[in-house]
Amino acid sequence: MTKNSSLDINELREQVKDKYKEVATTPDGEFHFHTGRVVAARCGYKEEEYDSLPDNAVESFAGVANPFALRDVQTGETVVDLGSGAGFDCFVAAKKVGPEGRVIGIDMTDEMLDKAQATANEMEMDQVEFKKGFIEELPFKDSEVDVVISNGVINLSPEKHKTFEEIYRVLKPGGYLQFADIANSKPAPQAAVDDIDLWTA
Amino acid sequence: MLTEAGFVDVKIGPAVDTFGGASGESNARAFEVYGYPFIAKKP
Repeated sequence: MTKNSSLDINELREQVKDKYKEVATTPDGEFHFHTGRVVAARCGYKEEEYDSLPDNAVESFAGVANPFALRDVQTGETVVDLGSGAGFDCFVAAKKVGPEGRVIGIDMTDEMLDKAQATANEMEMDQVEFKKGFIEELPFKDSEVDVVISNGVINLSPEKHKTFEEIYRVLKPGGYLQFADIANSKPAPQAAVDDIDLWTA
Repeated sequence: MLTEAGFVDVKIGPAVDTFGGASGESNARAFEVYGYPFIAKKP
């Protein structure tokens, strides 16, 4: 987003919330992206990682690649997932960090948070919790977490510089940001960048 | 943006054809949009 952009940040947030409310409540609906086990396979997750999870944990997954592709999270680490949705990446991470680790999902959409927490309870994953919040204002102290993950979410933030600064703040020295997101090789014209419908369509 | 925030050792993994076969494929193709894994370290 450029400094001259006319994008309304609050309107964008509301549209993103509405879109992902739909993904939470009607995951088999018509979206411009794939969802569920189809996209998990496409992103390169190991079959045993998603086959071992209940449908509620996978069906609303709308990731774009695999945040664990370049480094696996380790036993005992504290992991924060930005825009955790229905919790798919949190549950994958929770199995990797084990019961001595901790995974906290942050999301702004109530329907996603409710679905994710219900699934965590069903799976009896006590090391996982979900909190409501914005990725530009993380509810953590400085240098509190080992790893920040995210999948297909940072591209939806109109304040990406602020988001990366916030991630840097909450990571411990030596901590990792490992995320998956989309990138375009051909530049999008300013009119497209300013078109809210194209952010969520 | 990552290095401006202070991150080091930034790496990008192989592209994923995220939107292939989805209804958003035509927009994705128009701007050559793919999914990628990224990693960066706080020194």
